[in-house]
Amino acid sequence: MSEEIKYIGETLWPGQLGHFLIILSFVSILFSSFSYFKASGDSDKTWKSLGRLGFGLHSISVIGIIAILFYVMSQLMYEYVYVFEHCSDDLPMRYIFSAFWEGQEGSFLLWMFWHVVMGIVLMRSSGEWEAPVLMFLGLVEAILASMLLGIHIEIGDWSHKLGSNPTLLLREVYNAPIFQNADYLASVKGDGLNPLLQNYWMTIHPPTLFLGFASCTVPFAFAAAGFFTRQYTEWLKPVIKWSLFSTGVLGIGILMGGAWAYEALTFGGYWAWDPVENMSLVPWLILVAGIHANLIAKNTGRAVKSTFIYYALGFVLILYSTYLTRSGVLGDTSVHSFTDMGLEWQLIFLVIFFGILSAWLYFSRRSEIPEKTTEESIYSREFWMFVGALVLLFSGLIIAASTSLPVFNKIVELFNPQFEGSVIKDPIPHYNKFQIWIAVLITLMSGTAIFLRYKTNTWSNNQIKAFLFRNLIQLGASALLTILLSSWIDYWHWKYALLAFCCFFTMISNTHFLVNKLRNNLFMSGSVFAHFGFGLMILGTIVSGLNERVISSNPFVMKGIVKDEDLGRVIKLIKNERIYSEGYWISYTEDTIVDHTRIFKIRFEKEDSNRNIIESFEVKPNVLFSNDLTKVAASNPDAKHYLSKDVFVSVQSLPVSQMDVNLAKDAEDSLVYERYELEIGDTIFTKDKYGILEYLSFNPQHKDFKAEKSDVAIAAGIRFRNLDGSFNKLIEPALSLNENLLYQFPDQLNEIGVKLKLDEESFDHIFSTEDKLEYSEFEIRQNESFIFEDEEYALIGFDKNIDNKNYTPEPDDIAINAIVRRTSDQKIFNPIYLIRNSSPNSLKDYDADSGVHIRLENIDPVNERFLFSIAMDERNDKKVILRMAENVPRTDFIGIEAIEFPGINLFWSGSVMMLLGFFISFFFRLRRKYA
Amino acid sequence: MKKSQIIAFLAIVCAIAIIVNGARDVSTYSTFAEATKSGNEVKVTGELNLEEDIVYQPEIDPNVFSFHMIDKDGISRKVLMKQSKPQDFERSESVVVTGMMQDDTFVADEILMKCPSKYKDDEIRIRAEI
Repeated sequence: MSEEIKYIGETLWPGQLGHFLIILSFVSILFSSFSYFKASGDSDKTWKSLGRLGFGLHSISVIGIIAILFYVMSQLMYEYVYVFEHCSDDLPMRYIFSAFWEGQEGSFLLWMFWHVVMGIVLMRSSGEWEAPVLMFLGLVEAILASMLLGIHIEIGDWSHKLGSNPTLLLREVYNAPIFQNADYLASVKGDGLNPLLQNYWMTIHPPTLFLGFASCTVPFAFAAAGFFTRQYTEWLKPVIKWSLFSTGVLGIGILMGGAWAYEALTFGGYWAWDPVENMSLVPWLILVAGIHANLIAKNTGRAVKSTFIYYALGFVLILYSTYLTRSGVLGDTSVHSFTDMGLEWQLIFLVIFFGILSAWLYFSRRSEIPEKTTEESIYSREFWMFVGALVLLFSGLIIAASTSLPVFNKIVELFNPQFEGSVIKDPIPHYNKFQIWIAVLITLMSGTAIFLRYKTNTWSNNQIKAFLFRNLIQLGASALLTILLSSWIDYWHWKYALLAFCCFFTMISNTHFLVNKLRNNLFMSGSVFAHFGFGLMILGTIVSGLNERVISSNPFVMKGIVKDEDLGRVIKLIKNERIYSEGYWISYTEDTIVDHTRIFKIRFEKEDSNRNIIESFEVKPNVLFSNDLTKVAASNPDAKHYLSKDVFVSVQSLPVSQMDVNLAKDAEDSLVYERYELEIGDTIFTKDKYGILEYLSFNPQHKDFKAEKSDVAIAAGIRFRNLDGSFNKLIEPALSLNENLLYQFPDQLNEIGVKLKLDEESFDHIFSTEDKLEYSEFEIRQNESFIFEDEEYALIGFDKNIDNKNYTPEPDDIAINAIVRRTSDQKIFNPIYLIRNSSPNSLKDYDADSGVHIRLENIDPVNERFLFSIAMDERNDKKVILRMAENVPRTDFIGIEAIEFPGINLFWSGSVMMLLGFFISFFFRLRRKYA
Repeated sequence: MKKSQIIAFLAIVCAIAIIVNGARDVSTYSTFAEATKSGNEVKVTGELNLEEDIVYQPEIDPNVFSFHMIDKDGISRKVLMKQSKPQDFERSESVVVTGMMQDDTFVADEILMKCPSKYKDDEIRIRAEI
């Protein structure tokens, strides 16, 4: 349809180059993978060099595609659909990374980029493993690259889109009438980045998570390479540092997601068992199980097959989680899944392909694997590590199964369209009730096994005695700490007490081990840190989860009005009024608007019995307006962090008129205004108050009024009182004219529900239009004066710098700016005599206070005489027309939710310590003597 | 019995227990009629009834808002939520509410909305012609 149109302003080369690089990236990685396949069993170096060449080409093209996308985004080339969908004129450049990976294509590129980095490191460091490992890595990368191809395949009636090309033009994707216009680009603007994603977490969380995802490919590639080349045990050693790195990074990525949710998104929840969270946690759990199996295999020669299964399963689950979050199958069960890109079948293929590949490698090689046939002894470390890994696997499978309910529904629906999909009623307790027992088992085993040794078959009596003695002391100490904790958080429930007890046990036992056994050899300290951290983290979830307290429930105000369990979590704060709730005096004192953000200042104060303030803090939560500023799009909480607790505050509701321009209009339309004509001193009455018009002013004080955006303006000051004088408040509605447009500045008295507007008619009573003015003329010289209406006006000079709102300079203007001073009040007037395009003009100056208009009409250069004309507004009746509405809803309040989380720092420090454990082990293994 | 068999046996027992127990946490989406009949807490899915008013008056009580929803059977009922009105509520296409029927009103304590994706509307926004 649009072939004949020659479009204006499009830059086409980035798209063409991008498309070429996309195809090159796909072809080159396939070539690389194939060459590495040929190189795997071959001592000749040719295939290996070709593999490297392919990988190098692929790396260049991936980086090239990324560079092109960044280029078109930074130049805001809206002719590209990716730019249109993710950028906008007002998007700050610091969010360009976030905008880049907001879309599926960008996040796939990010993932591919990390694979490229990973591949280059492997090429330099993995020696003989390079060929088979990079062959599998390349295979994964090829399927990811196919996600960007954007090729339509048609076989008869059947057509399918293979991949989604991010460098397509807008007009190639959307079919809209606007593309009939050759200059369509001038009127297109981008959608921009979702305001919820405009924060620094969106900049750092996805790259970390995708580095975690990408690095999970490496343990799989090693395992597959080991089985493929029939070197069943040799891969166990080089892979372990990769697995440690991968779990560490993936863990950080997941934790960042939790921190983001805690700080900004879901307000106070770091983990909600959301499908997206679950499906990044499950591969992590399986990989951690894999590391344990890997250690057993490396140290004892057992569990080689399990190691393979864990690594392969972990990787396939990463792919499965990609399918879940990106295919749209989660639909309404997840708050943050990607939108459907039409790649569902391609994603399913990705999962199934690697699932089958892993299964084939496993079953075809299974019988060849040399494994010990005897059983592990229960006195050995490997036995308990093996059971621990199984428990982790179990945990992951339970979570994955529950999360997959929408997939199950969908499969059944395929066979039985009548089938009605089911959902988990209350996800958080559902997941928690099973995972509690997982945590109990893990902490118990990690606390015990750390003291055991590999390959121990029996214990001597002394060993048994030592074991019992040590454990008795540790268990006793744990019991004591559990009692202390339960009384601190004042929560006694046997399940949670048992869990806390187990957490203490592993923390004590691991500390004991660190102090006793590791003085001279820190090699195992990574494991100690990880297990201690795990215990502390779970302890943190108990303390913060069970002890969360809503501060904003305000039982005193609501008592008796609603049932206890119905107490709302949102409390209404009226500006400048203190309100008492749950031990705090809360007040909302001011709010400011900066760009798209409205920031509220809220104070919390605690008083002792003598009303002295013993604790006080201030928080500044904000709300974010949508990109077009028409409504509130997001609410960001703010927190006060203490060592022992956090207090979170977010603005949950605002007056309807401040939420959305449409709602504001509805609210305004529903008001009933009455018209009043008032002169100064006149009175208007409401139900129980009366208001007197005190003054008229030409300098409105209204908060929204800006003098520089107004030609003339008036404001009326009306003071409202009640009969006994206890109420006395002034309001000042205003009206302004700017370039022939009238602007209303209504004012409202929230205390009595009164809103006042100045009617436009008021202008006619105060200002005269040009045709109604009667000018008087005076001809004078410089330093002479004239008298008009009993006032003296003197021409005191001229000024080159012209200061007159009515004048906009143009080249070749000849402008003369007279300075006329009124003697009585020293007021300066600047009328201008202007010659533009050879014709004379006079630009008047006007003083709204006195209503005086002055023009410089003519200049007689020979006699140096200047002709002024002067006129005054008709102001015989200084009437204003007011419109008043009563029973107007308040607009000076906010609804806030405030929650106290005690012990949250236990959770954060525990999880950080756990992840630190992985990195400690990783760095020890990087150093050769341990590797 | 070998240890591996014991472990496998325990795992199977646990798995069965978890499936049986977990299955109780699952339910299908319900309708207003079923909610009235059962009297229990249920999840009802449906669409916002835009012909009726969405009432939220934070100046009176920021913790209450109400709207009307049409369930799968096409029956419209008033839904009373005990929380502040979520952002963009008016734009949501389909709504899932969790709660129970009280007389003719569905009192809900949880709401999930599905908003139209910005990718789906093919409308190209145009700069206001000034």
